[in-house]
Amino acid sequence: MELKLLVLALALYLGATAGFVSHLLTGKEALRRLALVTLTAAFGLDAVAIIVRSVVYRTLAITSFHDQLSLFACLIVGFYLWLQRRYPLTVLGSLVSPIAFLFVLSAYVFYSGNREFPHEMHNVWLPAHIAPAFLGYAILTVAFCVSLIYLLQEKELKKKGKSSLRRRLPSLETLDELNFRFVTWGFTLFTIGIITGSVLAKERWGAFWSWDPVQLWSLVTWLLYALLVHTRLTGWRGRRAATLTIVGFALLLVSFLSVNLLFVGRHSALG
Amino acid sequence: MTPDIVIVGVNHRTAPVEVRERLALADGRLDDAHRRLLGFEPVKETVLVCTCNRVEVVAYADDVAAATDCITHFLAEEHGMPREQFESHLYRYCGRTAVQHLFRVAASLDSMVIGEPQILGQLKEFYARAATVGAVRTVLHRCFHKSFSVAKRVRTETGIASKAVSVSSAAVELARNIFDRLEDKTAMLIGAGEMSELAARHLLSGGIGSMIVTNRTFDRAVELAREFRGTPVPYEHFPRYLPLADVVIGSTAAPHHVLLPPLVHDALRERKQRPMFLIDLSVPRAFDPAINEIDNVYLYDIDDLADLSEENLAERQREAGKAELIIEAEVDKFWRWLNGLDAVPTIVALRERVENIRCHELEKTLGALKDLTPRQREALDALTSAIVKKILHSPIMHLKRQDAEVESFYVDAVRRLFDLEDFDEKEDQ
Repeated sequence: MELKLLVLALALYLGATAGFVSHLLTGKEALRRLALVTLTAAFGLDAVAIIVRSVVYRTLAITSFHDQLSLFACLIVGFYLWLQRRYPLTVLGSLVSPIAFLFVLSAYVFYSGNREFPHEMHNVWLPAHIAPAFLGYAILTVAFCVSLIYLLQEKELKKKGKSSLRRRLPSLETLDELNFRFVTWGFTLFTIGIITGSVLAKERWGAFWSWDPVQLWSLVTWLLYALLVHTRLTGWRGRRAATLTIVGFALLLVSFLSVNLLFVGRHSALG
Repeated sequence: MTPDIVIVGVNHRTAPVEVRERLALADGRLDDAHRRLLGFEPVKETVLVCTCNRVEVVAYADDVAAATDCITHFLAEEHGMPREQFESHLYRYCGRTAVQHLFRVAASLDSMVIGEPQILGQLKEFYARAATVGAVRTVLHRCFHKSFSVAKRVRTETGIASKAVSVSSAAVELARNIFDRLEDKTAMLIGAGEMSELAARHLLSGGIGSMIVTNRTFDRAVELAREFRGTPVPYEHFPRYLPLADVVIGSTAAPHHVLLPPLVHDALRERKQRPMFLIDLSVPRAFDPAINEIDNVYLYDIDDLADLSEENLAERQREAGKAELIIEAEVDKFWRWLNGLDAVPTIVALRERVENIRCHELEKTLGALKDLTPRQREALDALTSAIVKKILHSPIMHLKRQDAEVESFYVDAVRRLFDLEDFDEKEDQ
């Protein structure tokens, strides 16, 4: 049942990706609507699956790696769909959809069945740690997409090309402002996640900080985003800010994936 | 000596901006200048044209060599400048070449940016100024009006104008690719040229918030600032205002770069790296191309902008070729008219004109009086013919008098009184 849902969501994410990309290439309005509807449906499926599992676990479904991946995808798409209502950033959809597709695909590959949640893990601080951290991740992912588009548009403008792509992309100012806004939001949530996480650690293991690999990676990532927010206030914007956002996302992804796949630590869902 | 059309002047190709600026005539001195030029013996008619890219004296004169000399003398005296200082920059056209030059100027083929639309309006203004002080009579009246209609023809029949417009709209489009909104942005205009004014106008209608104008001659900056509801800034101080500008349009005629990378670096630091869009419409370039290497700065020159528009270079060249052909044909027509500007064609035209009126009226009357006998009809025809002949007899005798001075006066008068110009125009079409 769950795997079927995943496969269906996968197909829809792929369809949405195709829709967004072909809209970007042709500029046809019908394709944009189709892509948005498809993406919304995929999001719905993903959300239903998470809710179903959460009900089964009797807490937020984040025990296994595939749970985390599908939550991640769901939050990214959810944030994008919310954003889409305020800013018509169709081009962002053509990056968000394939990313969601990749996450759900990994969830499918790493599917390890439902596991009973260890009873001693139940704690109010767990959702308080996971929810802001993951929402922060999702927003920072969208910031990463915005930065990619910024660099693309920047390159188009610098090389003075004739391509019509430039006309379909949002203005640099829009992208730069959105980037800063998302980084600030994502960073704030990320910070909250770290704080609640250390409270959780204190409750469970008796220490706020224990140099766990996830904690270490998160700290590095956090420092980078802190630098980004700080330099922004002193006038680092545009291309440098976009590049730094991309580096930040790379760190984020490494910390998220490697911890789950390589390291065995307290955070590891597989371990 | 047969009278001929003469043009003496400098433009953006023959003279550096310093010389052009020194030769420019202040608006207030224009009427007096026309009168003084008319005071020279050989000069019969004259129009002064003075824009940022050109200073030209168009004249209809008896003795071409003498008139050229008089005009050069006038320019030297007017500006208190020894002839040697500017004579090497002057061009002198006469006859057909002069007519062709005027037509090319009007059609914007001689402009810095080929096809820019403002020159025609400027030409009309200067022509009107000359006309109000009575410096224009038959020949230049005809010549300038012809140049206006030629310009119109070139504009409608060729794609020459699209370049200038497309450059400006490409600039606005790019501004929208860089900035989310233009309402809270400031544009700075460095130097005033036909093209930069057009670009500024496009930006204004695109919604740009405010405008700073600077120019080597401060008066001109003030004038432009009034037009664009902007702020004039002395040229020496423009680097201080640079950090305020989101869009900078450069249109100077300086032989060197007025904007260098360090200046832009400083401005960006002060702007906290907010992006700047620099548009260089000058030939040669006013902004150092290395500026485009700087982060958050986008420098486009006029060729970049032109390349962005749909037409490619080959197409534009073909359009320019088409325009030259139109001008060539129109110069021919005008030349034929000018050479026929003696008494005989005027007498013929006058007779035709009056005969046309007579025939037309006669037909109307005969149409209403259907019961007339053929004899009565003949009588009416003879009567009207006789009246016309009698009335025309004396004017035609005056026209036929072989006195050059008087002849041209009467030719001019008759052509005006009987609207023979318009008559010719209609014949042309």
